[in-house]
Order: sequence, then C-alpha cells, then structure tokens
Amino acid sequence: MTRTTRTGALAACLAASLAVAGCTDSGTADTGTSTLNIATMTFPQSLDPAQAVGSALPYFQATYDTLVKREPDGELRPMLATEWQYNADRTELGLTLRKDAKFADGTVFDAAAVKANMERFKTGGGADAKWLKDLESVAVDDPTHVTLKLRQPNPAMLFYLSDAAGLMANPAAFDKGDGLKTTPDGTGPYRLDRTKTTVGTKWVYQRNPDYWGEPLPYETLTMSFFDNETAIVNGLKTGQVNAALLQSADQQISIESDPRMKTTEQEFDFQGLLLFDRGGKLTPALKDARVRQALNLAIDRKTMLEAIRQNRGEITSQVFGPDTHGYDRKLDTYYAHDPARAKELLRTAGHAEGFTLKLPRIAAIVNDALAASLASDLEAVGVKLVWDDLDGASAVQKVFTDRAYSGMVMNMGQSSSDWVVVDELVNPGAFNMFGTSDATVRELVPRVQSGTAEQAGAAVRALGEHLVKEAWFVPFYRMTYLHVSDGSVTIRPQSGMAVPSIYNYSPAK
Amino acid sequence: MLTFITRRIASGALLLAVISFLTYVLLSVPDTDVGRQLLGQGADQAAVDAKNTSLGLDRPVWEQYADWLSHAVRGDLGTSWFTSEDVTQAVLGRLPVTASLMLGVTLVTTVVSFLLGVWAGVRRGAVDRVVQVLGVVGYALPGFLVTLVLVLVFAVELNWFPAIGYIPFTDSPGGWLSTITLPVLALSVASVAGVSQQVRGAVIDVLRQDYVRTLRARGLPASRIVLRHVLRNACAPALSVLGMQFVGLLGGAVVVEQIFGLPGIGSMTVTYTTRGDIPVIMALVMLTVVGVVLINLLVDIMIGWLNPKARVA
Repeated sequence: MTRTTRTGALAACLAASLAVAGCTDSGTADTGTSTLNIATMTFPQSLDPAQAVGSALPYFQATYDTLVKREPDGELRPMLATEWQYNADRTELGLTLRKDAKFADGTVFDAAAVKANMERFKTGGGADAKWLKDLESVAVDDPTHVTLKLRQPNPAMLFYLSDAAGLMANPAAFDKGDGLKTTPDGTGPYRLDRTKTTVGTKWVYQRNPDYWGEPLPYETLTMSFFDNETAIVNGLKTGQVNAALLQSADQQISIESDPRMKTTEQEFDFQGLLLFDRGGKLTPALKDARVRQALNLAIDRKTMLEAIRQNRGEITSQVFGPDTHGYDRKLDTYYAHDPARAKELLRTAGHAEGFTLKLPRIAAIVNDALAASLASDLEAVGVKLVWDDLDGASAVQKVFTDRAYSGMVMNMGQSSSDWVVVDELVNPGAFNMFGTSDATVRELVPRVQSGTAEQAGAAVRALGEHLVKEAWFVPFYRMTYLHVSDGSVTIRPQSGMAVPSIYNYSPAK
Repeated sequence: MLTFITRRIASGALLLAVISFLTYVLLSVPDTDVGRQLLGQGADQAAVDAKNTSLGLDRPVWEQYADWLSHAVRGDLGTSWFTSEDVTQAVLGRLPVTASLMLGVTLVTTVVSFLLGVWAGVRRGAVDRVVQVLGVVGYALPGFLVTLVLVLVFAVELNWFPAIGYIPFTDSPGGWLSTITLPVLALSVASVAGVSQQVRGAVIDVLRQDYVRTLRARGLPASRIVLRHVLRNACAPALSVLGMQFVGLLGGAVVVEQIFGLPGIGSMTVTYTTRGDIPVIMALVMLTVVGVVLINLLVDIMIGWLNPKARVA
C-alpha cells in the first residue's frame, strides 16, 4: 500500500466517523397506549412455575393463570377454579375447575393438569415448594373436579393457590427438558414473545387471542429489569417506563416533585431486627424476655424513621401487617423509646453490665445511618452492638446455613395471610432457625391453624400480642413504598405483595 | 508479521487457560451457598442442599472446573444458574450493546482527539492552553457525574434522546443511534481527554524533529507536512493509548450501562458477579481476555501498518 493510500484511508476513516458522530436521530422507544412497560428490580430465575417464587409473580401471571385469583384487597375470587369447598375438619379441599381454559398448544386445562402441576411444584425444588408440605395427595375426581388431601389443616392453602403454588402449566411441556424455564406454556392472558425478549433484562408478552377470560387492557406487556432505581426514575420521567415501584425515600421524593407522575403509597415491608436466638444458644442474655424487651425499649424508632426513611413509613413493634387479623394498631406503639426502663430491665435480668450482640450487616439493608443509629441506641443502655460487615451472599450463607448469628436486621414483606406470617416467623424454619417456642405459642398456633374463622381470629390476635410482649422480634417500622406511573396508568397496590398483580394496571382516565 | 501474529495468538490462548483456572478457583473460594442464594432466605435447608447437588456444587472445585473446561472447549458454556438461560445466547444477546458503545466511543475519541491534539500541537499558544485545560477537566470529572448530567439535560429535560434502553441496529438504525448517543458521549469525555493529550504531545515531539525542519526548509506546505509526516509518526503513541482506553472502557461501561439501563456486558458483569453465577462470569471473563488480546494485537498491527519504522523496532 502506498503512502497516499494510507493517508487517504486515515482521512476517509476520520470523515466517516465525523459523519456518523454528526447524526442525531431522536427516535424514541415504542410506548404506544396499548403497551404497558413495567420496570422492576425483581426477576425470575426461570419461567417454570415449579420454580416460581411469590415475589416474581407478575412474570408468571402474564402467561399462567392461578387456580384462585387474589384481588387487590386480598379477597380470593374464582379463576381456574370456579368453586372450592373444605370438608368438616378442613383436611380436604375440593375444587371445581373451569372447562374453557386452554394451554398454548390447544390442550384443554383439566383436573389431571392440576394434579400434575401441584405434585411437580411440591417436589420441583423451588423456593416456595415448602408451601405444599401439608399437601398429601391430589385426587382427580373427574376432568373438572379435584380434591386436595391435606395432612393437617392449612389456613393459607387457598392463599397459596392464588400465588406461586397455584400456577398451572401445560403438563405436555413437563417432559421437554428445560423448556418451561424460558418458554412458558400456560392458559394466561398473554404469551411470551421470545423474539423480543432478552431474558435477564426485558420480557415482552403479547395478548393471548385465545384467552378464556376478559382481555387485559394492554395489547403488549413488557417487564424490564433494572438493578438501580435511578434508571427507573429517568425512564418514568421520559415515559419509557409506564409503571414502577420505588423503595428508596430519596427517589420517591425526587419523583413526587414531577407533576406528570401519578403516585400511590403502600406500606409493605417492615424493617427490623429478627431475633433468632431466643433460646440463648449463641447470646445467652437473649433467653430472658426482659432482655429482649430492653432491646425494644432502647430503640428510638421515631428518630430512625425520620432520619433513615425521611418519615416515609409507620413505626411498629409487631410483625403482623395491617392486612392480617393478627394486626392490632395499638401494638405499633407498644414499645416507646425508654432507655431508663431498658436499663432497669437489663439490671433485673442480671445484665447490669450489659452484653455484646454480634449481628451481620449487609450494607444494602443496613446503611451507615441505620448501623450507627442502632449501635448508639443500644450502647446507651449498655448493649455493645458489633457489626460483622458481609456481602449479601456470604451473609445469607453465614446466617441461614451456618446459623452463626443471634439475629439479623432485615426487610420482610408482610403477607396478607395470618398463617403465612405464623408459618414463616413463628413456626420452626428458616426465620425461626433455632426452633424456639414457648407454652403460649404452642397453645395458640394450633388454634390459628385448625380453629374456625372466629377461633383462629381470636387466637392470632392473642398470638400477635404475646409475640410483642415477649419481644420475639425488634421491628422498627413499616416502610412506605411508592407506586409510580408516568401519568398514563392507574395502579392499584396488591395486598400482601410489594409489586402489583398484572391485573391491577389500567389506562388512566 | 505472520509469525508475530501466530505467537501473539498462542500466548493469548495460554493466558486464557491460566486466567480461566484462576478465576474459577477464586470464584469458588468464598464458599458461598449458591443454593441458598438461588432459593432465598426463607427456603428449607433440604431444598437448598438439593439445589446445590443438582448444580454439582457438592463436588471438589477441580472437578467442577474440569467439567466446565471440557464443555467450554466444545463450545458449551453451560446454563446460567440464576436465569436458566443458555450462557452463550445470553452473552451474545448483550454483546452488540457493549460493542456498539465501544466502537462508538473509539470513533468519537479518534476523531475528536486527533483534531484537538493536532490543532493544539501545531498552533500552540492560547489554543493549546485551552485544549490542555479541557483535557485535565475531562479527565478529572467523575464518569457517573458526566453521565447523570447528560441524562438529565438531554433526555429528561430536553427529551432529545431516550433516557434508558437500547434499540438494536437491525430493528431501527435511527433508534439505535438515538439510544447509544448519550452513553457514547458520556464515555467519550474521559477518553478524548486522555488521547488528545497524547496526540498533542506526540505532534509537538515530531514537529521538533530535524526532518520536519528540513521539510519546512524545502518549502513543503505546512498542511502537507502535518498530514503526511507528522501525523503518521505521532500515531504510534496515540494508538497505544487508544488501545488501552478501549480495554479500560469495560470498566466505564459498567456505570454507563447501569444508568442508561442498557442490557450490555458491563451491567451483566455486575449483576451476575454479585450473584456468583459462575457459568456466566466465566464466559464474561473469557470474552474480556479474548477482547484484550485481540485489541492489543490489532493496535500493534495498525501501528506497524501506519508507520513502517515500528515494524523494525
């Protein structure tokens, strides 16, 4: 190549790049009125219902129906099951199924599909598989009737059927290897558009023309995953995102100043210290209820809420949320900030010199302000708080697998089902990892589980009060989350879920 | 030249093998409970154990690595633990986004840096001082700040460009350009600042050479001297820096892709690394190593092509 050619090539390159750099086409993403683009910070590990988890439910709701529909207020309504009936001792739940629902390949949904799905969910290794631990077997009575046989009554069974455990996939797809993980096959209102979907970032669903039910208001539903709220907020402001949930108080404030946005508040997660070691295995002092009460009294919830969440939330001393029967408004303020009383309790419990409490800290949950605030509140009554700084992955490993800590500061979703709360936080399991209990709890829990609605209601209220008085937990506050739309969508929050069901969106009028 | 390229590719392959082994071992050292990560805090321990077994995590690390390697050499990079997608598909799906960014930034950097650098180097005086100040400012500004300001001004306020998202070139060339313009500009600021200073320095150095004085004395027009002789000799150091900038862009791309919500390799690296998704991280590390080796090779070839003297050196 001659020198001239080389110089020419260089010059041509420069000119071409100038031309490209000079172009400015301000085309924007397609956001027609028939498209709903929801931004979320949760994504499903797979679209196979056997591995579904409640928090990722909207991704599944698009292509699968659940047996029971959960309305925004938590009420249970017919969906694939049109009727349900318990037997006298509530160990058998009979379901009547609809006849006109069809899977993607045209197969009719029937009782055999329910049996296959429920058995698969139970053994499929998903995070919520434990929900069906009380399910003994599923009997197919005829194509439109099944009976779920339970080992013992489970008051949350219908709730589970309105959530991950109730999602129904086409049994014909079960044998196709990992097919369902990325290619869902259900009876739902949408079908996944594989060509426009990039798993991990954007899932695009097109309306199912053969849907048995009322079509949803949007032709196309897009779920976009983001790992930060800044991008979501920018997307909302430019109309590229139609709806999203904002958790951070700062982002909430920034969006509220924009007059185009429509916002709806919801209190869902509570933040607090979950004490696991009520038996005093790792921290002997925690065995004494007075010590646990002292921790509750030492915390200045109002100041924490103000400084950390900019007052976006409600202080609380209980783990039951407002949508449950176990909730009692009075218990929200049961423990007022009273360091003197806390010290007195510690002294009478034999810990006048205080003790050391070691807790894991994940910076994403316990920010510097919260860490400092908790440490100084506890220090003031003589309890030395030692934070073990851990990344999310190793914290989960150390807390839940190695059981190395007496408690952990966490954000917990508040279910609308009493039994879900009891089973998750009170019964021995992941969040009661040392399996601690006491006589009152042992007496009340079976009543919540097996009693009539009235008996169960009374028992769960008593249980809620007992847990607060015995200081099983140190809750701080429920956090206000903000559902935001770019102005084009009306969003109804979903009871018992941080993210709304896909049925809760409609065009703004 | 052929021997040179062959040698470089062979050493690249060796580098790939060593880095893949080290990465796998390092990723396995933290002994993170992947099953627990996957199933969440509320899952039963039995389910967690079953998950770990199904992923083969109960085997020794060397055995897991050998398994990964034997599949990888056959082109099977496995399945993501966290999204169940095929790793090759997942990475290939995101590659065009990051490739668009990097090529865009390289183009912008090349054009702007050479223009500014040559201008400052030849004219000196006030122009030179302004370019130098701009260089320092551009280099000192934090990348995320530049990015946020660009989004707020040009996307949110003026609405000239979309604030988030990516439109593939094949869907709409105009849309593609609109989605990558702001990210490319954001990434180009520091890049231009660095490379333009190099070009300026190199141009000044070359202008001081005896042969330039001789050419001037022979009455050659200044523009011809600069374009034909100075620029070619000044190219080598500038291209080396450009190559390094290109590699360094991966780091900058992480921030920019997150702020613009771009489904690229940068944001993917962060998301999947924090989750400990070994099959995906391994693929990304391999891709990066191959990229770095290729870019360095390309830079060397280009320097040799533009400046024959470098081939001898």
